[in-house]
Amino acid sequence: MNEQIAQERHWSTQKERGSLFLMRLTALSVRMFGRRLLAPVLYLIVLYFFVSARSARRHIRQYQTYLADWSGNPALHPSLGSVFGQFIAFADNLLDRLDVWRGRLRFEQVQLVDPSGIRPRLLRSQHGGRGEILVVTHLGNPDVCRAMAELGEQVPLNVLVHNRHVAQFNRLLGEAGDRSMRLIQVSELDTAMMMDLSQRLERGEWLAMAGDRVPLHDGRRVMVNFLGHPATFPQGPWLLAGLLRCPVNLLCCLKVDGRYRIHLDPFLDVARWERGQRDAAVQAWVQRYADHLAGQCLMAPRQWFNFYAYWQPADTEATDAN
Amino acid sequence: MNDLQQEITQLIIDTLNLEDVTVADIPPEQPLFGEGLGLDSVDALELALALQKRYDIRIASDSKDARQHFTTVASLAAFVQSQRDACAK
Repeated sequence: MNEQIAQERHWSTQKERGSLFLMRLTALSVRMFGRRLLAPVLYLIVLYFFVSARSARRHIRQYQTYLADWSGNPALHPSLGSVFGQFIAFADNLLDRLDVWRGRLRFEQVQLVDPSGIRPRLLRSQHGGRGEILVVTHLGNPDVCRAMAELGEQVPLNVLVHNRHVAQFNRLLGEAGDRSMRLIQVSELDTAMMMDLSQRLERGEWLAMAGDRVPLHDGRRVMVNFLGHPATFPQGPWLLAGLLRCPVNLLCCLKVDGRYRIHLDPFLDVARWERGQRDAAVQAWVQRYADHLAGQCLMAPRQWFNFYAYWQPADTEATDAN
Repeated sequence: MNDLQQEITQLIIDTLNLEDVTVADIPPEQPLFGEGLGLDSVDALELALALQKRYDIRIASDSKDARQHFTTVASLAAFVQSQRDACAK
């Protein structure tokens, strides 16, 4: 795939720009008009997006087809209504994010599914103890993890992001009243950044990063089977975990029956690879992660908000596999 | 091989889990990357992290300089020594 096509298709160049504008607009409007008044407007915007963005529709249809085939549940097969439903879910998601940012969504309103006690560890680690890594997904609403950071105590959570819009995003977070979360831009892992992150872990801070989006200029990616078809995932979170030798947990926040539910699952007690087995280890972790993600897609089938081409086009599978 | 070179060689072996390799197997002038010991960029990060912790020094990001320091054990030792001297002053 040449650079230009990659640029056209890649989420970091196309999607964020649009959604950042949409968010800014939404943020402003929510403050001016309130959620109840704004909701219909946002639905209209999303309807427009639905009608005009043919490729986004196609990608959602593809996702729903793969999910239905992979799970063997014919009820999940796409229809015009189900594809539209996913766009509407995105509108709801945007509105919810704003509630989160403005502190409207309290921790008490969120159900926590944390069978192995990861959140208590997070709260404890600021009083001594080493930080850990949280791998976050764009399935559902990652921003709700901020609700987890609330509850009186400041939780030392650093969110690592790839895109170049961090400055804008930080400003937007500031405008929305969110100052508790730190965004750190990581375009490439380098020695200074590694040292900084390592020191943060030693201080008991945690690192959160997305496990399901491949940064444009980082060649470190790995192809695994996701919902029955090959898709590329980033190696970044796993390399980072292995280099820092820290535990990895998975964080996913889904809206089920109108209520947010945060799933915290332990994934690796300590990320380590044997000499010469690094690629195989990362491959195995990412495959296990993709399988886990697939299971969570079934819990909230319409909350997959990757509107770009997620899977490899069939003809480039062979060449990209390298 | 001086003490620091020996120490760094051992650190490389321990950090990267090089099995069946002893300090004597890595001459100070042998290239660490590519042809020589065959390390790659992720190994370099792991090594940089270990060195920074062990010697309480800072290694600047992927500058050309940083890459040169990592060429051989000898160049690493020289770099660590210069950083320590700089701190001692």
